[in-house]
Formats: sequence, C-alpha cells, structure tokens
Amino acid sequence: MTTSPAGSGPAQATRQRFSPLTWLAAAGSTAVSTTAAASWPLSAAVVAASLGVTLATGTVRRVLTSGAAVLVPLGLSLLVLHGLFFPEGRTVLAAWGPARITAEGLGFAGQRILLLAAVVMVLLLFSFSVSVPDLVAALSARGVQGRFAFVLASTLTLLPAIAERARRIREAQESRGLVVSRGLLSRVAAFRLQAVPLVLSLIEDAGTRAAALEARGLSSPGPRTSYREVPDSATQRTARAVLVLAALAAVVLRVVQAGTGG
Amino acid sequence: MAERTVRGGPLNAGNTGDAGDPVLAAGIRSFTFHEGQAPALRDVAVSFLPGSFTAILGASGSGKSTLGRLLAGWLPPGGHGTLAGFLELSGTRLEFDGGPGDPRIDPAEWGRQVGFVPQDPATALSTVRATVAEELAFGLENAGVQRADMMVAVDRTARLLGLHDKLGQDPARLSGGQLRRLAIGCAIIAAPPVLVMDEPFASLDAAGIKELAGLVRDLLKRGTAVVILSQTIDALLREAGTWVVLSEGTATGGGPPAAMQSGAGVLPPAVRSVDRPEAAVPAVPLQSKPPAGTPALELRGVSFAYPEAPAPGKRKRRAVRAGELSRRAMVLQDINLAIHPGEIVAVTGPNGAGKSTLLRHFNGLLRPTSGSVAVHGADIAGVPVGRTAASVGLLFQQPRDQLFERTAVREVRFGLDRLVGPETAGDRAAAALQAVGLAAAAEEHPAELPASAQRLLALATVLARRPAVLALDEPTVALDGDGLALLDAAVRSAAAEGTAVVLVTHDLGYARSAAHRIVSLDAGRLVPA
Repeated sequence: MTTSPAGSGPAQATRQRFSPLTWLAAAGSTAVSTTAAASWPLSAAVVAASLGVTLATGTVRRVLTSGAAVLVPLGLSLLVLHGLFFPEGRTVLAAWGPARITAEGLGFAGQRILLLAAVVMVLLLFSFSVSVPDLVAALSARGVQGRFAFVLASTLTLLPAIAERARRIREAQESRGLVVSRGLLSRVAAFRLQAVPLVLSLIEDAGTRAAALEARGLSSPGPRTSYREVPDSATQRTARAVLVLAALAAVVLRVVQAGTGG
Repeated sequence: MAERTVRGGPLNAGNTGDAGDPVLAAGIRSFTFHEGQAPALRDVAVSFLPGSFTAILGASGSGKSTLGRLLAGWLPPGGHGTLAGFLELSGTRLEFDGGPGDPRIDPAEWGRQVGFVPQDPATALSTVRATVAEELAFGLENAGVQRADMMVAVDRTARLLGLHDKLGQDPARLSGGQLRRLAIGCAIIAAPPVLVMDEPFASLDAAGIKELAGLVRDLLKRGTAVVILSQTIDALLREAGTWVVLSEGTATGGGPPAAMQSGAGVLPPAVRSVDRPEAAVPAVPLQSKPPAGTPALELRGVSFAYPEAPAPGKRKRRAVRAGELSRRAMVLQDINLAIHPGEIVAVTGPNGAGKSTLLRHFNGLLRPTSGSVAVHGADIAGVPVGRTAASVGLLFQQPRDQLFERTAVREVRFGLDRLVGPETAGDRAAAALQAVGLAAAAEEHPAELPASAQRLLALATVLARRPAVLALDEPTVALDGDGLALLDAAVRSAAAEGTAVVLVTHDLGYARSAAHRIVSLDAGRLVPA
C-alpha cells in the first residue's frame, strides 16, 4: 500500500503521474512484443532498460531476488534441455552417448533465457512498482465487477496479511515459552507449530468477514464508484491504445513471418 | 407461545405503546445454529421505532451477539442456522419456519437499512483498502455514490468519531480503540435508519465513550433507531428508552431502565455497572507494600519508534539515517518504571497512547530503540522471548491472537510441559482453569467460547506458568461481572504470592480499585496519574 509516509519519495512521485493502467499496458505490451520478436538484441535491451528503471525506482533488490528465484531454475532447465538435446546442433563440443553439447544448442538456450529474463523482469518491475489500491480503483472505475476487483486486491494483500497473522501467533507462542532461534531447524519447527492455528484462524476470519463484506454491498450488481482518485489523461489513454496496437502488430508480424518463412 | 414483545419507543415517550410503525422488528420463536443442538435464541421478540434507543443487556454467552447479527442481516436465516419466527424491516415482514420455502435476505439491501458494529471491530473491515478514508468509503463505493458526496460523508463521519487526523493511515496500524471508531464509522456513514452495536464500549477510552454518547444522542435526534447490545451498563445506557434483558438465549424482561433497576432480580448479576466499579469488585483492602530490593521488572530510559512502515508498495526500505529517528514518531519516550514483587501497578492512558507497545517490551517482543528492560535485575537484551517468558507472563489485548490450540486444556498446557514437566503441568493447567471458572469447559474449542470466557482462558494460560511478572493488556474488556470478579481474585492472589502485576487499562475505575499505584501514559511519556 502506497499511501503511508514511507511511500513518499521520488519513486512515488513518478508513479503518481501515471495511471496504473498505463503501467500495465506498457509492461504487457513490452512483454508481448519482446516474445513475438524473439530477437536477442531486443531482449537484451529490454533487460537493460528494466534494470535501469528498477535502479531509478529503488526496487532493484526485490526485482533481482524474485527474478533470480524464477529465472535460475528455469534457465538451468533450458540449458540442460537445449544444450544437451538440440536436434539441429552441428558443432559438437562434447558428447556422452545420446547427450551432446552443441554450440547451436547453447546459443538457442541463451536466447531463450534472455527472452524469458526480459519478460520476467518487465512483469516483476510492474508488480513491484504498481500501487495496488490505484490499480483496483482504476479497474473498478472501468466497470470491473466488485468481486473481481476484491479478489485481485486480496490476492495482492493476502501474503502480507498471512505473514501478519503468523507473526501474532508466533508472538503468542513465544510469550508462552517457545524459543525461536535464528537456526533454520528451529524456524522450521516453529512454523510447524504455527501452521495449524494459522490455517484455522484464517478460515474463521474469512467466515466472519464474508458477512461484513456482503452487508457492505460487495456483491451489489449496480454501478460502483471509487473514492481513490487515479491520475489519468488523454495523452495516457492515447499511449495505452498505441501500446496495445503495437503489441498486436508485433504478434501479427510474427505470425505472417512464420507463415511466409515456413 | 410465551412470547414477550419488548418495544423500543421514542425517547422520553414514557410508554411502550403504539407510536408509529417499527423500522425493525423480530419475533424469534427459535434460532438454532446448524451445528448446535439447543436453540441459541428462543422466545425473543423486539421491535424498534424510529428514533428509539434500546439496550439489550445480558451476560457473556447469553445470545446477544447472535441476536445482533440476526437483526443486522449478518446471519441470514438458512445460511448458518434455522430461524422459526419473523424479521420485519421498514414494514416488510419475512416469515421463516426453517423450511426450503423460507425467504432469502439480501445482506446488502438489509445493510443499507441496518448498520452493524460487531464485537470484534476488525472483522467489519474490508482489509483491501489502503487508508482509513477509503475503508470508510467502501460501502458508499459499492452503492455507486458520487465521489464528491463520498468526500463530504467521509469527512463528516471522521470528525464525528475523532478520526479526522487518521484518514490517510493504514487501517492495519490503528490501535484497538481507534479500530472500533472506524468500524462505527463504516456502519453509520450511509446514515442507515437503524444502528446496532455489539459491545461498543469495549476498548474505548473515556474520551471515546464520551464521543460515542454524543454520537448516539445525535443519531437519535435525527430519527435513527439505536440498539446497543452490552454486558455492562454504561452511563449512556441509562438514557435508553427501553432495556431488554437476555438470559440463556431468552428475553427474560424488558421495560424502561428505572423500572428495571428497581425491580430486584430482573438484571442478572453478571451484568455490571461500569460507573460503579466498586459494586462489582469485592472490596478487599490492598496492603501497600513499600518497594524494596531488586524490582521484578525495571524499564530504564526506554524509548521506542516503529521502524518505517514496512514495505509499502513493496519498495526498498531505506536505511535510517542519523537524526531521522528523532523526526519519526516516537511511540515511547524515556520511560522509567520499576515494579517490585507483590506490587500491582496500573498503566492508564487514552487509545493509541502506546500502552500495548509498552507492554510488548516487558518480554522482548519489541526491543527498545534506546534504554533497557531488566527482569530480576538482568537485562533481557538479546535473550529470546521464549526464555524471558518463563519469568514474564503476557496477556494480549485480543485473546484471539493468543488462543491457537484445539481445546481449552491443551491451550493452557502449551509450553507448560517443558517448563515444569508433564505431571506438574497437568495439575497446574487444571488449577488455572479452575481459578478462572472454566474447569467445565476444559475440552471445548477456544474459538467457540463466548468472548468473556476466551479472555479468561487466555488469562489461565498466563496464570498456569506462575510468572514473576504478570502483564495484562486491557484485561477487563469483554468481561462480564462474573468474569471481572474472577480476574480480580486471580490478580490479587497472584500479587499476594509475590507476583509483580502490571495492568494496562483504560478502565480507570478498575485500575483504582485494583492497583497499588497508577501511572498514566500520554503521548509516549509516563506521568503519575
């Protein structure tokens, strides 16, 4: 949530000028176009640009750690798959029976990893810098159903809420003599003790909250409004249209190329 | 059918006769939860006229919350239980007999007519709104109210409830009392013709109760029917036109307060008057012991500020630069406090003064930004909370934060085996449950106990450990008269055995009757009260 005091700063000011939908359009369009183009210089440029923006907005550590968590296992599997078993590979660097490392295979794997990195970085950058309340408000204002907007918002606020509840249960247990040290084993053991009460309390909580949400009109069918004002402008609306069209054009171009080439 | 209809008439109407059509009414022959064997409510009939003020009084577990939720449409018949009887809203009567042909309630439509503030205010919130202002506006957004009108309504409601300086704050960071104000605000912002509040006085400080009284009077003037469900008789409830007494799920009496108070035996003894605390608390003179020797607990120059709001917008947390600390809001400032064995000290202060924050320093759940905390003269810096817990027992403000086991007795035994061995643990657990009057509920699920019993169970988990320091956060909240007497006996007996007791409470009446000395926390500083 971006409205707390720590949310102020240059990053906040930059984001406030743009609607979250513009960010969404930019991230989506970049991801689609990069995938459609499948050209490694473009992928590399997108990765570099994403890094530049994360540095400017101060999200670099989060984007890199989450990016690594996604990219390292996927990248390794791509390397193994294409590096060892690339049918079109001619330049054999090493071979063990049916498995052989080819230069073409490694090159192809590299391109794929770069492409994947570009898409993952762009989407992570979006998810770490978008203001969730703004996004939900922007979607609601465009007639997105209240339930859907709520589910979207809760998906994004669920982890912090679960972490908070787990922290309270841990505090209660610690206050009654549970010693949690920094060691991994100790933490795993503590988590085992917290898991059952955590799930039970979340279920109980969901039951009571459902009544409150229904009474406050969450499922009302009529039009809804938004208290939060989301910045938008004619320029941004035009930019979004251009971005969506560009992504579509990239896909069409790719399909046509594939048709004529194959 | 021995049904007694109690009608809430307009204020000062002086009678309960016909004075127009009720805006809300219910005739409950029985209401049974699907999983329950016995009806939770039977033979309860109530009706509320516009501008009437009704108090529904009963001990913890008497069925107040169930009645409140039924009236407010939060417990639609058929969903969680079966209703035989009727509900009537604005002249439309819905008859229920528990069969498949029963009408269905539209909770949103009902909610527009009846605002409800649940006993646990946190459950009324949407949890997906980033600020207090947006949380207040949530219901209006869903009703499609124009933004300009929402701004006016939010501003007006926030001013009524003293939340105007909190509008930009994250609701998750409000104190217990502020949270209740927010829940009340969410219920009244759309100006429903009926407002039902379940235990609204709990966790509110004196200023909050005064504001609530003003708010209720204001709503009554505008013609809102106000219904308050309570186990304590606050001064405000004496202004009610009608009292309804609920006991074991049945309406056992009703009428104007004057008649009810004079009529002996109409009010159950567990319904206590908060403006006469000495009546509920046994008057045992406290022996003031001169502090001597090493304090059981000592805070030396403790100051504390929360770290910057964690990860809003999932942005990098900046390192705290020198000098920045002083600009950040200090929750505690230079607190010095020593509590000796056998001493009972009460810490009072308004909502949001930092009382709970102070308490969390006693066992190390929070570590001071500067200064130190010593238990039996030994600094607890660097000692895991779990070890300090052997000497310091903490009762949290929200018992539901503290209860996590499957049965009451397992709850009390958690961590006890390791502390004293399995054999002694069994005896201690049984004794602690006995001390809080829950021996018969040992095998019940903590979440299914009434609020008062949950708090007493949480108290039992702390008592069983026999800590040298007993720290209780708002222990009187949600306790009925019987519960308060049990709490008081437990606190006094612990102190008599040499335990140092710290009570954090906004209930000045209880603090005066129970504590050897009272200190007040205001804006993060400790001053003698």
